[in-house]
Amino acid sequence: MFRTEMMDINMGPQHPSTHGVLRLKLLLDGETVTDTDVLIGYLHRGVEKLCESKNYHMIEPYTDRLDYVAAMYENLGYVETVEKLMGITVPERAEYIRVITAELQRIASHLVWLGTHALDIGAMTVFFYCFREREILLDLFEAFCGARLTYNAYRIGGLPWDVPPGWTDRVRHFVKIFPGRQQEYDTLLTKNRIWLGRTKGVGILKAGDAIDFGVSGPCLRAAGVSYDVRKAHPYSVYDRFLFDIPTGENCDTYDRYLVRMEEMRQSLRIVQQALDGLPAGEVMGKVPKRIKPPVGEVYHTVEGPRGELGFYIVSQGEDKPYRMRFRSPSFVNLQALPHMVKGSLVADVVAVIGTLDIVLGDVDR
Amino acid sequence: MKIQAFLQKVLLLELWQGMWVTLKNQFRPHITVEYPKETVEFPPRFRGVPRLRKDPQTGEELCVSCLLCEAICPTECISIVSEKRPDGKGKQLISFTINYERCCFCGLCVDPCPTKPITAIYMSHDYEFAGFDRDSYVTAREELVDGKPVKIYTS
Repeated sequence: MFRTEMMDINMGPQHPSTHGVLRLKLLLDGETVTDTDVLIGYLHRGVEKLCESKNYHMIEPYTDRLDYVAAMYENLGYVETVEKLMGITVPERAEYIRVITAELQRIASHLVWLGTHALDIGAMTVFFYCFREREILLDLFEAFCGARLTYNAYRIGGLPWDVPPGWTDRVRHFVKIFPGRQQEYDTLLTKNRIWLGRTKGVGILKAGDAIDFGVSGPCLRAAGVSYDVRKAHPYSVYDRFLFDIPTGENCDTYDRYLVRMEEMRQSLRIVQQALDGLPAGEVMGKVPKRIKPPVGEVYHTVEGPRGELGFYIVSQGEDKPYRMRFRSPSFVNLQALPHMVKGSLVADVVAVIGTLDIVLGDVDR
Repeated sequence: MKIQAFLQKVLLLELWQGMWVTLKNQFRPHITVEYPKETVEFPPRFRGVPRLRKDPQTGEELCVSCLLCEAICPTECISIVSEKRPDGKGKQLISFTINYERCCFCGLCVDPCPTKPITAIYMSHDYEFAGFDRDSYVTAREELVDGKPVKIYTS
């Protein structure tokens, strides 16, 4: 009369907790997840192919639309790759401003992660506070480059503009007020028993598995691997700043939360040092009018908020790339999801998607 | 130590601390605005829709139809038709059209514009351009210079 059987459940693509159009096919045994199929491609725009028909200037607005939560990093990675390919030196002031904006972007991106991650788990208040502080950052970006989300803020060889007057003081003000605000999120979450219950021991990803899956960024560091592109292969002027790489021990969602919280503090430290050492001078280097890199190929990575963000360009000496490839951290990190949710409850799947901090624009490209 | 942990558990201390944070935030000033009744002020570099402009002093057409903005546009939303001036010096515009449907507000078209210091094409502060049909997004030169009439919302 009674019988039990496995059940297939579709989660997404229209689901508020999948952070976009991600579809999961969960095979359930009661409430327990036994198998997961990750189905992607709902946001595929073919940017890599599109780049082959655009010249090097035109590609930058397209990189904005990959990881739209941290578009500054996509810009940074792309322009640095082209600069590496062509051997262009960027003026110091431009490098410093790039570091400041990029680290502020990391904080803004982590604020979106913290807000939505807490909202998924049920803590609604944090979401509003995070977006309130993110608003200050977006206003700063808007004053700097004119846009709030798709910045197109850098150019090959430097920056299109210097910072507007009074901008550095506004950044200093943010650096001053933000630690207090972060203390508030801490008070709301870090010791909260519901938060602990929902995150401790959930979505465990051990260091060995993380490396096997190619996971990078905070998810890898929470597993205890101290790998950060900014330290391992310093790009831009990152070798001049003092900062620590936070790592976790327990490899679970709670540790990834702690790692990201600490990363925001370290980003503030970098911004503070960059503001203090901001040199005067030009912001645009010597760049030929037509960008025509020599024949060759180049791979360059930057440490984005989600992990190692890589750009691979094959040039045949024309003003358009022959092949363009993005190593997007969200796509690689998402591979670990079936492994992390195996044997856990359906409600924990939401927590694990949140802790991976995926952006579907980055996953599908 | 054990008693402290026990008390913390029974008295819900961490929850009361959280409540205290939310209570404090009740008295912070609001940061939201009641759009469309009030709008925020934009920084000078704000990138709205791209538009054309004339020389503010002489009122002459600034665009020299060099086609650089058309060439750099990543979405190919600008189309320019021009002819030789009757006096033989340079070119003059016949039509200049921007398809706002395609425009991605990247601001790349402003960079190469050769008419310095005032560029002929510029990123305006207009951002309200909802329409009922697709044709209304294909914007001709006259409208690019003068702008669209702004609808004033009243409560």
